[in-house]
Amino acid sequence: MWRNAPTRFGLLTRALHWTMALLIFALLALGTTLANIQPGLANLWLYGLHKTLGFIALSLCLIRLIWHRYSPPPPPIGPARALTNRLARATHTAIYLLLLAIPLSGWVASAASGLDVVIFGHITLPAIAPVSTAWEDTGFALHGLLTKALMALLVAHIAGAALRGLKHDGTLRRMIHGSTSTD
Amino acid sequence: MRALILMLALASPATTATATPTSYALQPALSSVGFETDFGPDLITGRMPVTRADLTLDFANVSASHVAVTLNVQGAEASFPFAAQAMKGPKVLDSADYPEIRFESTAVHKAGDGATVEGRVTIRGVTHNMVMQAAFWRQKGHEAGDLSHLTIRLTGAVNRSDFGATGWADMVGDQVRLDILARIERTN
Repeated sequence: MWRNAPTRFGLLTRALHWTMALLIFALLALGTTLANIQPGLANLWLYGLHKTLGFIALSLCLIRLIWHRYSPPPPPIGPARALTNRLARATHTAIYLLLLAIPLSGWVASAASGLDVVIFGHITLPAIAPVSTAWEDTGFALHGLLTKALMALLVAHIAGAALRGLKHDGTLRRMIHGSTSTD
Repeated sequence: MRALILMLALASPATTATATPTSYALQPALSSVGFETDFGPDLITGRMPVTRADLTLDFANVSASHVAVTLNVQGAEASFPFAAQAMKGPKVLDSADYPEIRFESTAVHKAGDGATVEGRVTIRGVTHNMVMQAAFWRQKGHEAGDLSHLTIRLTGAVNRSDFGATGWADMVGDQVRLDILARIERTN
């Protein structure tokens, strides 16, 4: 039930997938909001919330990668060498890399600003970068750039899933219910 | 409270006796240096301890007065923790390398009931001219003409960018307004 099988997604993988999906959309909305508002005392807590959610997303991504080493997910439905499946695998790999790089770049940039990186209101994360304007500027530039790349890949990921859903090939059903209707 | 200059104009025997430069020492526990700056639609406020203050006041000849104040940047507090950390960090006051702010007067002029204090302020190792307005009062519990314990309020403003304290310029205002309330006691 919890573990993945050669043709089905286990409960833990599905829970991680949908939890992270919600979290990532919340983070994208929050990050976009933060980039466009004037900071003030009334909205200062939103920056802490963004860091907290980002840290949770990074942690879940690492848990998911470790879990998939222990319990590999099933391959995409259809011929492995099919263009759509090669594209899907490349998209998944890129999304994983971005889900690691985006929070790390935000963490680096925040630490480089000289301010404590505080999550959950009171836990201070280690400073993983020297206090440096160059590190801060580069970190935030990367954070923004990589986030735009993630948005583009998520559009491709959702479009691919929707197309497979329209074709009723079982991919979407497998990520929701664990197995295809023919399993 | 009666303004001191006004009190001096009355020329009571007690004030006549102090019509020479008089040294005063700061009463740190009763003194504070407040500051504020804009943060979006809000204000960041805070306080900074005074490390040292040397004041020589001449109420008969105000221009002979002299003020030198040193502030402890590392002991600064602000209205929320991030503001204090940001202010003391390398992008603003850089307290690790520049733990003090110094102000020394170069000229003092009588202005209405108070005085205008011109001086040089050093922040982050950069020195610029600064003008502060001063008002004097005798402290509570001291009778008219008793200049042994005084309260001085100094107000002024600096632009932090003039001193290279440019961090978070997109969020935090450039002008920092100072409000120093110093309580002093005569030492000679």
